[in-house]
Amino acid sequence: MKNLLLTLLVAIVACAAAFGVFYVLNDEPAMRRAAREGDAMAWLRAEFRLNDTQFAAIKKLHDDYGVVCGEHCAAIVGARKRSAPAAEIAALEKTCVDAMTAHFRRVAALMPPGEGARYLATVLPRVAGYEHTGAPNVRVTP
Amino acid sequence: MTPPDSKDSLAPALADWRVAPPRNPQFRSAVWARLEGARGTPTWSSYVRGHATLVAGALALAVVLGAVTGREQARARVEAARGQLAASYVEGLDARNMRMP
Repeated sequence: MKNLLLTLLVAIVACAAAFGVFYVLNDEPAMRRAAREGDAMAWLRAEFRLNDTQFAAIKKLHDDYGVVCGEHCAAIVGARKRSAPAAEIAALEKTCVDAMTAHFRRVAALMPPGEGARYLATVLPRVAGYEHTGAPNVRVTP
Repeated sequence: MTPPDSKDSLAPALADWRVAPPRNPQFRSAVWARLEGARGTPTWSSYVRGHATLVAGALALAVVLGAVTGREQARARVEAARGQLAASYVEGLDARNMRMP
């Protein structure tokens, strides 16, 4: 009985060791760190394997787009506050979507070959259908 | 007195004599079991030797189970983080549904 329990203990230790090794081998610490710190730019850099030059260029694009996004935000919020016609609000939202899509395509063009297409496949399906508050930024709350 | 031809007839008979005992796959474990039975409580190493197939199978199963679980858990966590970051990244650049602070 003692030997059986000892064998079970050894099996459990082997199971735990295998779990730890394969967990570490399949983990992506940079990804989880980015999520924990709410840093979407760090995610972008790690996920799409950007080098320093590509990352700097994309960061500048994001900073520039932040200004455009703020203007769109102000226009949409202003139209809603004054209860503008639905067609006007829809037009403003369409302008926002078009600008955002164009921005994503510009970002994709700066990425390494193959990564740009993967980036677009990741972000474009997420363009609609979520709640958002606050000023435009690329930091997230975990 | 030995007849002179008896040695000559024995030699070929001995040369042709072959012993072919039936093979017993359980022989080794049976020997260990008998040894341990005579000794009392077996040590773990002798227990393992006596149940080699069972112990090896249990260890292999444990390693595979741990490896698969570890891999799946790590991938699930990474995927969750990836999805959260991608969604938040897009949200952060979308002026729709935004409220001015």
